[in-house]
Amino acid sequence: MTQLRVAVDVGGTFTDVCIFDEDTKTMRVTKVPSTPHDPMIAVMNGVERGEINLSDVSLFSHGTTVATNALITRKFPAAALVTTKGFRDVIEIRDGTKDDLWDAYNDVSGPYIRRRDRFEVSERIDFSGRTVTPLDEEEARRVAALLKRRGAKTIAVCFLNSYANPAHETRMREILEEEIPDATVSTSAEILPEIFEYDRFNTAVANAVLAPLVSGYVNRLATHLKEGGYAGDLLLLHSGGGSMTPRMVEKYPVRLAASGIAAGAISAKHIAQQCGYENAVSLDMGGTSTDIALIADGELRITKEWQVEYGHPIIFPSIEVLTIGAGGGSLAHIDIAGSLRNGPQSAGADPGPACYSMGGDQPTNTDANVVLGRLGTSLAGGAKSLDKRLSAEAITRFIAEPLNLELAEAAHAIVAVANANMADAVRLISIRRGYDPRDFALLAFGGAGALHGADVARELNIPVVIVPPNPGVTSAMGCLLVDIRHDLSQMYTGLAANADADDLEASFTALESEASARLRHEGVADENALLQRQVSMRYLGQWRSLSVPMGSGEGALKQAITAFHEQYEREFAFRQDGTPVEIYQLHLAAIGKTPKPSFRPHARTSTHPGTPIDTHPVYFGADGWLDTPVYDRDTIPAGARFRGPAIINQLDSTTVVPPYTHAEIDEWLNIRIHLEEILHG
Amino acid sequence: MGNTATATATAPLTTLDPVTFEVLKNAFATSVDLMSEQILRTCYSFVIYSRDFSSALCDAEGNTVMQGSGDIAVHVGTLHFQCKAVIEEFGTDIHPGDVFAINDPYRGGTHFNDVSFIRPIFADGEVIAYAQNKGHWADIGGNVPGSFDVNAKEHFGEGLRITPVRVWSKGVFLHDVAQLLVSNTRAPAQAMGDLHAQSEATAVCERQMQRLIGRYSTATVKTALKETQDYVERTVRRRLETLPRGTWETVDYMDADPGKGEGLVPIKIKLTLDGEGIHYDLTGSAPVVETFLNSGYGTTFSAIYAGTKTFFPDVPLNSGFYAAVTADIGPEGTVVNAGWPYAVTGFCSGPYEKLMNGIFEIWSQVMPERAMACAFNLEYLLVGGRDARSEKKPYFMWYDWMAGGWGGRASKDGSTATAPVFGPGLAVQPLEGQERLSPVLTSVHQIAVDSGGPGRFRGGCGIEKGGTLTDAESTVMSYSCDRARSITWGIEGGLPSIPHGVWLNRGSDNERFLGSNFSSVPLQPGDSFIRPSAGGGGYGDPLERPAEEVLDDVIDGYVSLRRAAEDYGVVIDEIDAELDDFRIDFASTAAKRESISAQRQGWLEVDPTVIAEGYKSGEIDMLDVIRRHGVILDWGTGELFPTTTDQFRALMERRSAQHWG
Repeated sequence: MTQLRVAVDVGGTFTDVCIFDEDTKTMRVTKVPSTPHDPMIAVMNGVERGEINLSDVSLFSHGTTVATNALITRKFPAAALVTTKGFRDVIEIRDGTKDDLWDAYNDVSGPYIRRRDRFEVSERIDFSGRTVTPLDEEEARRVAALLKRRGAKTIAVCFLNSYANPAHETRMREILEEEIPDATVSTSAEILPEIFEYDRFNTAVANAVLAPLVSGYVNRLATHLKEGGYAGDLLLLHSGGGSMTPRMVEKYPVRLAASGIAAGAISAKHIAQQCGYENAVSLDMGGTSTDIALIADGELRITKEWQVEYGHPIIFPSIEVLTIGAGGGSLAHIDIAGSLRNGPQSAGADPGPACYSMGGDQPTNTDANVVLGRLGTSLAGGAKSLDKRLSAEAITRFIAEPLNLELAEAAHAIVAVANANMADAVRLISIRRGYDPRDFALLAFGGAGALHGADVARELNIPVVIVPPNPGVTSAMGCLLVDIRHDLSQMYTGLAANADADDLEASFTALESEASARLRHEGVADENALLQRQVSMRYLGQWRSLSVPMGSGEGALKQAITAFHEQYEREFAFRQDGTPVEIYQLHLAAIGKTPKPSFRPHARTSTHPGTPIDTHPVYFGADGWLDTPVYDRDTIPAGARFRGPAIINQLDSTTVVPPYTHAEIDEWLNIRIHLEEILHG
Repeated sequence: MGNTATATATAPLTTLDPVTFEVLKNAFATSVDLMSEQILRTCYSFVIYSRDFSSALCDAEGNTVMQGSGDIAVHVGTLHFQCKAVIEEFGTDIHPGDVFAINDPYRGGTHFNDVSFIRPIFADGEVIAYAQNKGHWADIGGNVPGSFDVNAKEHFGEGLRITPVRVWSKGVFLHDVAQLLVSNTRAPAQAMGDLHAQSEATAVCERQMQRLIGRYSTATVKTALKETQDYVERTVRRRLETLPRGTWETVDYMDADPGKGEGLVPIKIKLTLDGEGIHYDLTGSAPVVETFLNSGYGTTFSAIYAGTKTFFPDVPLNSGFYAAVTADIGPEGTVVNAGWPYAVTGFCSGPYEKLMNGIFEIWSQVMPERAMACAFNLEYLLVGGRDARSEKKPYFMWYDWMAGGWGGRASKDGSTATAPVFGPGLAVQPLEGQERLSPVLTSVHQIAVDSGGPGRFRGGCGIEKGGTLTDAESTVMSYSCDRARSITWGIEGGLPSIPHGVWLNRGSDNERFLGSNFSSVPLQPGDSFIRPSAGGGGYGDPLERPAEEVLDDVIDGYVSLRRAAEDYGVVIDEIDAELDDFRIDFASTAAKRESISAQRQGWLEVDPTVIAEGYKSGEIDMLDVIRRHGVILDWGTGELFPTTTDQFRALMERRSAQHWG
């Protein structure tokens, strides 16, 4: 019987399906249009198009934008907030900051729950967890009855200092559940037991507004799959680079808020490791934007400062992805002072680049690549044709003439500025961490990543570029590569030197028993469960902390302190050994190992790339126009090695192999482009 | 100057090729932002953590080439002055591995708390640039914790003045010098931490610049440093070509000069656009006041640049901008050009906010589509003493600032609960953090009902925040704000919001209104205090606001039923508040609006003594005193301020009444 592992990644335009066959160790992919009004339709269409018999499926994994889209469009069920008297506006006051510091007409969006739906009860707990004002049960009942009358379907309970003592929140939850049995209740201390009311309240509120919607979707899909014959658990990819089952989604739907964004970075990490690189930059360039993520020492960078929209933080660990406005459709223009700019404005899908012949007359990166001869005039196997003449007209009119440049020079300048902007973005997330790009590989994918990858790598002194076999559907594979994962945390403040080892151990043990319970709830067998401790520390008096791994037993804390100093020095290029170190938080990652696909390498059959399907002039800056062979990717065998310049075409992408580089096709069918002057220069 | 006359769209405007120029310009921005990123992650001062800091790359002459994209507004246009002061002081005695410190407000700095660290960047044996980081230290000595002494008249009581001084010499840390600086603060360990963190942050920028020099050559980088400034200047001048020419004037006021009795303190602003540049003239502004609410020349220029930049939000800030924007700030000895040794630490609550908002008002006429009424005033409340929750009774400092409302705009309501215009990125602190650190229990932190100035487009809502002192000893409270009398104003017919000011033990027998500026008021455990931040002023006639929008505000509790009727003339019946069921009474609304329209000019002319009596007896409430009658009182005692009232009424006539149809 065939055994399949299936991953479905829902994007804004397409829903991608990856099917891994465990017997043949091969993967095939399929793509169907997304159905935003009900994403499940596209998922089931993908299953059908991929000719998947659900009873053959051993693991079905899913990355979804349902939660992200709900937060953006604000289509929530009737939601309410119950909070401490006097603090109804915590989520509206936020920290008061503007995202756009200078544009007085550009406001931060309002809170997820409107003021009319926020209610107060008398209660107060102080910083130490001591009750200052007991919960007014009568008032709590009145509020519950009122919410019932108002038809609230989902309720966030957020009380001050509940991270220090959750008793009042818990009691409020009981009262609400008694009065409104069918409502979903999220309490802030249960969602995120951390200090700082605005961060905790908003995370709980985001959880509450997503609760019925997201778990409704997930349960519906799970039921469909089950009816279709799938016997396993549906796994949902979450923002933190792990997955969870519908049972846990019911409680923590907010963890899916960046589900769709995480998948690409996870794939990049896998491919880099497959190629033997522990350090990599992931460059996922699409039509309107580029997502950049950093893999260092084999791990994706994780951040707790994350939000779908500015001003509404979701403080759960999330893969750090930097998105910038640079894509194939980004517009090049000359600004008012005569300087050449690129993006962040985009021609989008409509009208799209000038060459799409859909009415766009402004030049884009795609137009520049067409004029330079890098991008052919036929895309997606002939499904779309590009008009090179329109590209040339747009670039001539808006860029070349104002700057007194030849057409090719102007097109090259457009691409060079786009590449420099992407390189700057990579610097922002890598150099500030103290990493040297020369130790990295660049993973280039997305529709446009492979067109620009080698130039961006040169800009950054990165010696090698890896283009995976299906650059346009690389993200979906990420869903197949993760374990079940939960991230727990606990406040624990005090000087590290004075910390009581037994007390610390007891705190971790308590977190571990909660974590094990969650994994068991998800059906993870004990032998597949893995618990990882981390501790956040900072120099006494500082505000931000750094998180380092921590072992157990004697000497573990001492080792963690040493690791903190080292990590600090790497990130900030200095350390302060004379300053006492303070513990801030304890973290526990609970991992339930799931089986991963093991890919079968391809035999290296020939070192020759085969016959080019075409040879035409391509413009390479200082080298001018060079006759360049064009290869069909599907026909280049593993083991092939050839020098640039070359162009490699495939259905969903085009790869540019510039001069002074050489390319090889590895046993996983990745294209690896080596930049010679960086390797040897 | 005059380069716009010869430049045409077809001639290259930079000597560098367009790609190299764009790449280097963006790389300068990245190198500065990396510096900011690092300081945010390594700082010790909670004020820096809340984003009161800035970073800059300056050229060899000290001119600013690039400022951080997230910098606090108030530092804009001061960093080049500080860098130039270091260059003047040390001349050729500047070496690789040196780092200099400066906070001197008499050399273009802001206030003593804002300490800059400046590192020269060398190439081929010469300085080609400087990296600078400026951050607000939590304390810099002086008479009061936090170094905000409202009563200071001269700088000697305000804190440590750091003239340009070397703290690293050729890579060697000068421990003795650093020790001297930090030992003059109340938190030496913390200050030492920030001194290191800020200096190290400038090294991040230096490394990036060295990379660019290696890649593009010293000559190219130097050219780009210059041309990045030219680029910004050219951008501003090009924009001016499409704007009207002419002269615009306004006056805004601070509340009072304690040395002179009641009466508002004028700050005069004149703007001239002549097609060549943007010129301001502040002559005629008041002499220095006998508090710390004076501004040195650095912060006055900062207000001018930041206020102007608000109308050119996408133009980068550097010395090219400062070349296109010029100002005559008048002779020394005024509130906008104080000079040594006048106290200036409170400039931010005083002249700075008046200049910013006055400039907003003027530009609202130049660019009506970007108009905005007055925003709430920056405010700081300080409660300091001994924390008796632990045996050692350590010093504590509860140092608090609030968000508030911004002015109504030409096409939408003002922004609610937003950081001050002084620094739209300045974050308010989480009270759960404050409660751990200080024996103050916050009693309320919520939107203040009816705080938004009424208008066709309502001002954004302000906040109210209150607290109770718990286990503490030897505790005093100080406040730095303004606009208890020069109340946040509306434009184009819009109405004022509410006065700033702190109430002690409000609602009890020993209730006191402490005003908007006071120092060292003793507090006992159990004492409570509360203060609002103003909302924004309204834009346009409130009688023209659609009744449905007023209804929405009532449902959300931003506007009370009573003020809906009195300010907007909208009569709303409550059917079932629990289900948000309110109905507009359209007939009564029409009648009410007609009646207000017929009477309101007369209300502004009623004898102020009558209004004051009505306030004291409880017949006229505070919002009617202000919004209807334009009368200014001591909000605690009800005492009338006649001169202030005359001045305020004149403003209301100009900004509000003359626009009513």
